[in-house]
Amino acid sequence: MPPFRPRRVLVTGVSNQLGAAVARRLAPHVEQLFGCDVADPVSALEEMDFVHADTRLSVVGKLIRRLSVDTVVHLAVVVDSPHDERGVHETDVIGTMNVLVGCAGSSSSVRRLVVKSSQAIYGAGPQDPSFCSEDMINFDRSASGVTREMLEMEQLVSEFVVRNEQCDATVLRLGFRVTEGTSLARYLSLPVVPTFAGFDPRLQLLHEDDAVESIVRSTLGRHPGVFNVAGDGVILISQAVAIMGGTAAPVLPPYGQWLSRLALRTLAGVDLPAHLASVIAYGSVMDCARAQAEFSWKPSYSSRQAMDALALGRQAEVIEAPSPPQEYELQVYLQQRRRRERRLTAVHPTADKN
Amino acid sequence: MIAPSTRALRRRNSQAAEIVAPSPGLRLPKPVRRLQRRAPMYALQGLSRLSSALRELTGHEVIDLNRIMEVAQFAYQQRQLASRGPNYVVDDFGFDPQWTESFISLFKSLYRDYWRVETSGVENVPASGRALLVANHAGVLPWDGTMIKTAVFTEHPHPRHVRALVASQFMGMPVMSWFLRRSGQAVGHPDDTRRLLERDELVLVFPEGTRGTGKGFRQRYRLRRFGRGGFVATAIRARAPIIPVSVVGSEEIYPMVADLRPLARLFGLPYFPLTPFWPWLGPLGMIPLPSKWRLQFHPAVEVSHLPAKAADDQHLVMALADEVRDTIQQGIYDNLKLRRGVFL
Repeated sequence: MPPFRPRRVLVTGVSNQLGAAVARRLAPHVEQLFGCDVADPVSALEEMDFVHADTRLSVVGKLIRRLSVDTVVHLAVVVDSPHDERGVHETDVIGTMNVLVGCAGSSSSVRRLVVKSSQAIYGAGPQDPSFCSEDMINFDRSASGVTREMLEMEQLVSEFVVRNEQCDATVLRLGFRVTEGTSLARYLSLPVVPTFAGFDPRLQLLHEDDAVESIVRSTLGRHPGVFNVAGDGVILISQAVAIMGGTAAPVLPPYGQWLSRLALRTLAGVDLPAHLASVIAYGSVMDCARAQAEFSWKPSYSSRQAMDALALGRQAEVIEAPSPPQEYELQVYLQQRRRRERRLTAVHPTADKN
Repeated sequence: MIAPSTRALRRRNSQAAEIVAPSPGLRLPKPVRRLQRRAPMYALQGLSRLSSALRELTGHEVIDLNRIMEVAQFAYQQRQLASRGPNYVVDDFGFDPQWTESFISLFKSLYRDYWRVETSGVENVPASGRALLVANHAGVLPWDGTMIKTAVFTEHPHPRHVRALVASQFMGMPVMSWFLRRSGQAVGHPDDTRRLLERDELVLVFPEGTRGTGKGFRQRYRLRRFGRGGFVATAIRARAPIIPVSVVGSEEIYPMVADLRPLARLFGLPYFPLTPFWPWLGPLGMIPLPSKWRLQFHPAVEVSHLPAKAADDQHLVMALADEVRDTIQQGIYDNLKLRRGVFL
C-alpha cells in the first residue's frame, strides 16, 4: 500500500495569523484546501475555499463528511484567552468533540488528524520537575482554567485514537508564543513589568514560524503521537524584560495570584490568564526531545531568539497593509471567479484551452 | 502600541531633534565626584597602611589584606555581572555559572576562615563525567550543601560546579527559588536527577532530606532513613558512580532545641526551629555558629557493572543504599574522633 498523502485538507480556525500561515504553507502541497472559522480570514488565499462554520456547532462534523476531506488540521483551539471561561470550554472541548465526531468511524474518509494543543496543559507549580515530558500528563489531575480545558480536550483525542485505528492523530503541545498581541508579549513589553517578588523563573518560548513548521510537518508526514514543541534553551523573565527594554519591578506578592492578576488588569491594562500567571511565578519548561527525534527537525528559533524577534519587531516600521475586510472581499471575488471558471470548463470542456 | 508615523512626521521630528545635555542642577561639585570615584581606592590604601602598622606592632597578621581584597573582588564582580544586561546564557535548569562563581569568593572566606573546613579525599571526585555525591544533611539551613559545592570548586584540581537537588517546597518560596535555581540547583525529582546525570554533571543529593536538617540537637550525627533508596536506582540507570560524603560540623551551626510545628505549618515551612539565638535575637539569630568542620569524600561505589534492570531489584537497591549510609556514618565517626573540639 502506498504511503498516505493528504489530498483534501480542512484547516479549522484558519482566520488568525497562525491558521493563515499554515494554510499558505499547505496550499502548494495538497490538491484541495478548505478552511473554516467563525471570523473572516486575516489574509486572502486564492487556493483555499473558505467556509463560515463554527466548530462549536455539530454542523462541522457533517461538513467534514460532506467535503470528504482526508486530513483535518484542527487549530480552532483557544489558549490565550483571559476572559469568558465558558466560551473557552465551548470552543476547546465541545469544538474538538464536534471535529472528532466528523473524523470518527469507518464511514469517515479522514485518515489524518492534527490537533493544536498547548504547553498550558502542564500548568506550572513549584512541585513540578524542571522539565515536563509528554507522558507526565494525568487526565484525572484537578486543574482550572485553560489547563483543565486542554486536559479535557486531549482526553477526547486520546479516546478517539483508541477507537479509530484508521486515523493517525498528532497532538502538538505548542510552547508559549510571544507574537505581537499575545498576553505574554503584552505583559513582557510593559515599560515597568511587575513580577512576583523573589521569583525569576525560566521561560521557554516558541516562534510563530516554528509553530507553523511543526503543524505543516505533522500534516504532510505521518507522525502519530503527542509532541512537545518549543524553542531550544530557556531565558529568565528578568532577561526577557530587559530584552524588551523594560524594567522588572518585583512587587507582586507571591501568594494569592488572583490579586496580582486583578492589579495587572486594572493598573497595567494587561489581562493575564491564570495559567500564565503561574508560569511567570514558577516557570514552565518542556522536554522537546521526542519531537526533535520524530520530526528530525529542530525549531529554528531558540527561546532567546524568539524573544529577540519580538523586540526587533517592535523597532521595525509597520507597513500599511490593506485592511482585512477588503481582503475578504477580494477573496470572495476570487472564489466566485474560480467557481465560474470551473462551471465553464464543465459545460465546455475545451473552453480552458482557448 | 505603535505610534502613528508618516514620512512627513518622521522628517519633522528628525529636523526638530537636538542633542540635550543632562541638566546641571543635579550634579555634585567636581571634587566631590572625584572623591566618590576614588573612595574605594583610598579605603584600601588606608587599610593596607593600617595592616602593615599592626603587623609591625604585634608581629603577626592582624588584618589580612588578601581576605579584604576577596570581598572587594566580590563587589567588583557584582558590578561586572550587572553590566552584562540581558546578554548571558543560563542552562535549561536556570543555572548561571558566572553569577555563581562570583558568590564562591564569598563562600570561600566562610569555608576557610569561619568554619575552617578540612577536606579529605576530594581526589575521589572525578575530574570529568557524571557522578552522584551522597551526603548527610544537617543544620537548619543547607550550609552543608554550600560548603560541599565550595570544596569541590576550590580544592579540586579541576574546579567543577556541583548541582544539588533540593526539596520542591523550597522552589515555591520567594527569594529561595530564585537563588537556588540560578546557582544551579534542581528539584529533587528522579527525572531531574536523570537529566542532570545524562548531561555528565556532578549531582549532590541529600537522601535524608528535611528529616536530616530538622532533627533536634540531641539527635546530632545520627543519620535518618535514606529515603527509599531512589538515589541508588537513578544512579544505576544513569551508570553514575556514587560518592558518599561525610560532613562533620554542620550539626552545631544551629543547635535546634525545639521545633514549633504549628508555626511551621502556618508559614508553610518543613519545620520552625528554636535555637538559643533564634528567634530571640531576630535576624542576628540566623548567624550560624563557628563550629569546626570536616568534609570527607569517600571512594566511589561503582554501579556501572550492573545492568539497567538492576534498578528495579528492590533488594539490591536497598542493600547498596545501606552500604552508602554505613560508609557515611562511619566517616562521621572517624572525623568526629579527628576533631579536637566542637569549635576548635
